[in-house]
Amino acid sequence: MNQAVIPDFFRQILDQPVNNLVDQAQEQGKKAIAYTCSYVPQPLLSLDGVFPIRVRAPGVVGTPMADTYLSSVICSYTRSVLELALEWAFDSLDGWVFAASCDHLRRLYDNLDYLNKPAFNHMIDMPHRGGAAAEKWLTEEYKSLGAALAESFGVDASPQALSRSIKEHNAYLSVMREISKMRKQDNPPVTGAMFQTLLAASTSAPKDMVMDELKALLARLRESNEGKPYRARVLLAGSHCDDPGYIDVIEKTGGLVVAERTCTGSIPALAPIPENDAPYETLAGQALANISCPRMMESFQARVDEILEAVEEYRADGVVLQTMKFCDTWGVESGPMVQELRKAGVPILKLEREYTMSSEGQLQTRIQAFLESMGK
Amino acid sequence: MRLQDLKKADASWKDKAVHARYRVESIGSLARLLRHGPGKMAEIFRWDWLRTLAGASNLLDMAVYTRTGRYREASAYALAEVIGGIGDLIDSICAAPDRVVIHEDLVPSEIFRGMGLAPFMAEVIGIAVPLVKADWAEKYIDIAENEGTPPDTCSLPKCTMGVALDGQFPKSAAIVTSNMPCDGGMASYTILERELKSPCFRLDIPYNFYNDRAIDYFVSELKRMIAWLEEHTPGRMDWDRLKEVCIERNKAMEHELEIWELIRQKPAPMAGEAIWLAQLIHMVATPGSPRATRTMKNILKRTKKIMENGGGALPEERYRAVLWNPPTLVFPELFVWAEQQYGVALLADMLTYHRHPFIDVSSPDSMLRSLAQIIVEGPMARHTRGPAENFFDDLFYLYEYFSLDMIWMAGHIGCKNTMALNGMFRERCREREIPLFIMNYDLSDTRVVSPVDMKKQAEAFMETVMKAEPLL
Ligand code: SF4
Ligand code: SF4
Repeated sequence: MNQAVIPDFFRQILDQPVNNLVDQAQEQGKKAIAYTCSYVPQPLLSLDGVFPIRVRAPGVVGTPMADTYLSSVICSYTRSVLELALEWAFDSLDGWVFAASCDHLRRLYDNLDYLNKPAFNHMIDMPHRGGAAAEKWLTEEYKSLGAALAESFGVDASPQALSRSIKEHNAYLSVMREISKMRKQDNPPVTGAMFQTLLAASTSAPKDMVMDELKALLARLRESNEGKPYRARVLLAGSHCDDPGYIDVIEKTGGLVVAERTCTGSIPALAPIPENDAPYETLAGQALANISCPRMMESFQARVDEILEAVEEYRADGVVLQTMKFCDTWGVESGPMVQELRKAGVPILKLEREYTMSSEGQLQTRIQAFLESMGK
Repeated sequence: MRLQDLKKADASWKDKAVHARYRVESIGSLARLLRHGPGKMAEIFRWDWLRTLAGASNLLDMAVYTRTGRYREASAYALAEVIGGIGDLIDSICAAPDRVVIHEDLVPSEIFRGMGLAPFMAEVIGIAVPLVKADWAEKYIDIAENEGTPPDTCSLPKCTMGVALDGQFPKSAAIVTSNMPCDGGMASYTILERELKSPCFRLDIPYNFYNDRAIDYFVSELKRMIAWLEEHTPGRMDWDRLKEVCIERNKAMEHELEIWELIRQKPAPMAGEAIWLAQLIHMVATPGSPRATRTMKNILKRTKKIMENGGGALPEERYRAVLWNPPTLVFPELFVWAEQQYGVALLADMLTYHRHPFIDVSSPDSMLRSLAQIIVEGPMARHTRGPAENFFDDLFYLYEYFSLDMIWMAGHIGCKNTMALNGMFRERCREREIPLFIMNYDLSDTRVVSPVDMKKQAEAFMETVMKAEPLL
């Protein structure tokens, strides 16, 4: 028996809002830039001299201060982030980049700016549709972010520098893709919770500081020949879900999460980025075409199709669609989404959740019943 | 709380005649739908919302019941025109059923008219019907929730979705929507498109719009929309016709700006529904219509008359207020009551206050550019999009401009992105020593906060913060 485990190295990264590796990189003179949405391109925040940190809010127990400002009817991810920001948890970071992607993140930007103003706080004006005009617009937006980074942090934001950054990012993506591919096997050596730990950890730390560990893990996974037994293969869909603990509950109940079509999961985050001499344009085109978030107005059917294709590719028995409470884009879309997937014969369970897991028992019961309803 | 809780004004025979006259006019503006014949009537009167709207003269009662003299006449006139404006919308979709374009509230419907299409603003149902019957939307909110829409989504798009799911929309050649005013409103069109089974076009409006680049982008969106409509509907762009619509809008705008200038005076010679409700229907739902111009012109005339006679609209104006955020649809009597109880004159609301420029009608391009600017800087859009400053700056400007005594913030629970501004706003008001009343309520659902509770909140604010003595 040779069952792989995730090294503590990755788990420890997730314990803190800002981990030791970030501090180390900053001591070496690099600047840490926080971001909160997939529309902020990682390669652009990985130009030489800066690195991206996808903001998580581990350890938040309540959000009383954030509720005073954001109100209690805003998504709990944004409230949790603001709560930690008001406790100065992110003060060591050098800047923030937001995308005007949804109402909640926009208001997080406003409140953060008012309450604990970051020295660098940039907003990307994200179009709500694809097409040539939108691509041109977003290219200009990404260029102006590049220029702002160059001005504030002295980085080289030239197309050549960005192309180099994309190349390095692709190297990271290719390792993650290799690991993700293993999840298609009958008996995958990596569980969903393990994979989410890797993804969350590697977006919460400087990539160059996790690459060796990732490669070593990939080698060990290739040699492992035994996965965890499971009752059903599950595709996780929906909004932001950066907590491996949530997936762990699903897996403890017997559902193996084989892929995540979420903003923080494997699809579409691991798609390679074309390497060419128009990197800004490429990032814009890819963001508009690939990151299929319900805030994009014209692509409901594309999102349904993407889930159906992933169900086939990963041989999922069913879909768990989890949406963050108060998120209007996912919330409103989930009704017709459930109908479409059912129409296509895919068993689906819709769950609403808070950012911090609160009722594990209830989640287990729902998953249990779902697996049983699929005859598993 | 409805009419029975308001104090009836001591009406003279003249006041009574005013009431009777506008009641007849209101009934007449809906009765004219009969001209479309019994078949059409049977078809449209299947819609519960239309049957409820047929009782819209309730709304008129509210405006006249508590008021006397010229202010009563002006309010009654404004309300009758509001009912007439809604009648026009329904009349036009009956007259040209193959040309109906269902559209979201923040798209330039002037263009549809320029193309010979019959625009019908989807949200007008969820806005207008609860004004007539407070709990009307609740059935439709439940329908949307039963189909999977979360309970926390704004009740206005939820009501609109429920009406669509219940099959109560007219047949349409096309749907046109946008990414405004908020995520919930935008997302609701996924459901509308599925239920109405019409092709749907979506306009994209940038987040930051105070720059030429954003206007250029949006103008290109408008051009794309026109080409799409020509492909999918019988409508064809007639630039001369659009010019007429735009000129009409400019005229109405001129009158409206003059009204605003006049009501800066203390006491204000006009207030209440003649300001906010008239604007909501005529400038948001039916802009550029001759009725809109006529209404604004006549409200202006009446405002001047009240001024000439000395004094203000209210018998005793003690406070001046603005209502921010969407109006209290389930409790339109709020300001009639506040007028009576504390002498509060409502001078503007978020939807009234727009910075619409005049439309430059010198060329097709200049018209599109002005229309683009009207939409991106339109009421609500300007506050729900863009940075928080857009919201705050307008309010502080209005506070000064109208010499207000306080700000009433309608804290609609479903309007998440404006709820997320209240904390900051409260502190900014405190710094400026501006009394701020944040009222908890739900735009269209009395089960969340009842009108009685809304009134209690207002009473508590007026008596504890403003130290107001009730007039009655
Ligand atoms: S749901 Fe959409 S807007 Fe929100 S974080 Fe994900 S990608 Fe960004
Ligand atoms: S009231 Fe607020 S949440 Fe509701 S439709 Fe308007 S902007 Fe959106």
